[in-house]
Amino acid sequence: MSPHIVSAFDEDLRAITARIAEMGGLAEELLTTALEAVETRDSDMAEQVILRDKRLDRLEHEVDDLCVRVIALRQPMAQDLRLVVAALKMSTVLERIGDLSKNIAKRSKALAQAQRINLSGSVVRMGQQTLRLLNEVLDAFSSRDVALAVSVWRRDIEIDEFYNSLFRELVTYMMEEPRIIGLGSQLLFIAKNLERIGDHTTHIAELVYWIVEGEPLGDDRPKGAPVSMDGILG
Amino acid sequence: MSPVKMTARGVNVYYGDNHALRDVSVDILDKTVTAFIGPSGCGKSTFLRCLNRMNDTIPTARVEGSITLDGQDIHDPAVDPVQLRARVGMVFQKPNPFPKSIYDNVAYGPRIHGLARDRAELDAIVERALTRAALWNEVKDRLSSPGTGLSGGQQQRLCIARAIATSPEVLLMDEPCSALDPIATAQIEELIDELRQTYSLVIVTHSMQQAARVSQKTAFFHMGQLVEQGDTTKIFTNPSDRRTQDYITGRFG
Ligand SMILES: Nc1ncnc2c1ncn2[C@@H]1O[C@H](COP(=O)(O)OP(=O)(O)OP(=O)(O)O)[C@@H](O)[C@H]1O
Ligand SMILES: [Mg+2]
Repeated sequence: MSPHIVSAFDEDLRAITARIAEMGGLAEELLTTALEAVETRDSDMAEQVILRDKRLDRLEHEVDDLCVRVIALRQPMAQDLRLVVAALKMSTVLERIGDLSKNIAKRSKALAQAQRINLSGSVVRMGQQTLRLLNEVLDAFSSRDVALAVSVWRRDIEIDEFYNSLFRELVTYMMEEPRIIGLGSQLLFIAKNLERIGDHTTHIAELVYWIVEGEPLGDDRPKGAPVSMDGILG
Repeated sequence: MSPVKMTARGVNVYYGDNHALRDVSVDILDKTVTAFIGPSGCGKSTFLRCLNRMNDTIPTARVEGSITLDGQDIHDPAVDPVQLRARVGMVFQKPNPFPKSIYDNVAYGPRIHGLARDRAELDAIVERALTRAALWNEVKDRLSSPGTGLSGGQQQRLCIARAIATSPEVLLMDEPCSALDPIATAQIEELIDELRQTYSLVIVTHSMQQAARVSQKTAFFHMGQLVEQGDTTKIFTNPSDRRTQDYITGRFG
């Protein structure tokens, strides 16, 4: 992309991109730490996530202020406008991912007090898969890699399927062993949070596609069937 | 979609040896504002002047290709250029009031085309044209003073009033707001929007925001060529050609 004639405009857009990249890095870090907290049941790590999330909130406001300023002062057009509008949305989405990670971290503190069950391993694996997609979509944003964004967008179904099978397993397990209902439902909420992080990740993939191509990514994305209780109860 | 009001096919313009416009083809729709954008010297004014045969008045200029108005070739010998210019009016890049009173500037067209039966009717036409051009309040007490004594922005609005006084079917405006303050600019944009209900308008502007605000169709010119044309929303959000993209986003070409 050639530079703008007004170089301060380039600097503004670079600043927005840099803040988004920083938010992305932070969101990844929060999710990573939250998953470690689930895995190791380390409540210090959980605390750390809760504290770092504040920085993400601050960055969200910074991005919003920058975008509003660029729109008011420079009236961006075409792909510049798309970048600014997408950045406004991405800041919200990344902040949400931070919140969901924080929620996972908080729930991991409840796990710490309970006995270990096998299924927490599956939840962590689901988390790692989610983290991988988040990682890739942020790379797709930095390098404007449409193919990678589309690939992430298609693979969100893996997270949905992971969630559906975990849901079944956990419910089955809890029916057999009512003692672990407390623990099992914490894990269920954690899995639900991960599934939502997956949805936010596909949203970012759509935004990356839109920034580059200028049109929306079609809505023929493969989606997992909504989870149902059929075959579990019944 | 509005019907086509004017067409241009394979238009080339030469000023002596300077090949200023190359093979331009475009449709101008009725009841639609079409914006021409592009860097200085790319041929916007030249093309605008083709549409009402103003280039006829430039001795070195040679125009090739076909241009029609309501299906009729405007270069047909049966077409009288003066009549053509009453149907296809023009506001020039530089304000050019006649060295006459403000009133006479606006009354000139209606008079030569016999649009008013008496003085009262002519007064009404003049007042209405000046009001629509957002100038009435500033000049209503000095209608008999010379048009050339107005400020640059007022002169431009006087020329707009003069152009609309004869109710042309097509109105060509070459940077009509370049000398206007934001309030007068907004009033002219409002006028353009109002005229669009009845007429076909073509506006040349260097303000991307203005083109985006007032037009439904946009054509981008670059070095004598028409690079890209289409819906204004598309051109400003997702242009197809790299040169359009670089131009509207303010990048080095
Ligand atoms: N009357 C003229 N005689 C000779 N050459 C001319 C004449 N008018 C325009 N040209 C040439 O034709 C080319 C296109 O000029 P034109 O005025 O159409 O550009 P434009 O797009 O309107 O530019 P601007 O945005 O600066 O008004 C230029 O190279 C210019 O020098
Ligand atoms: Mg010009």
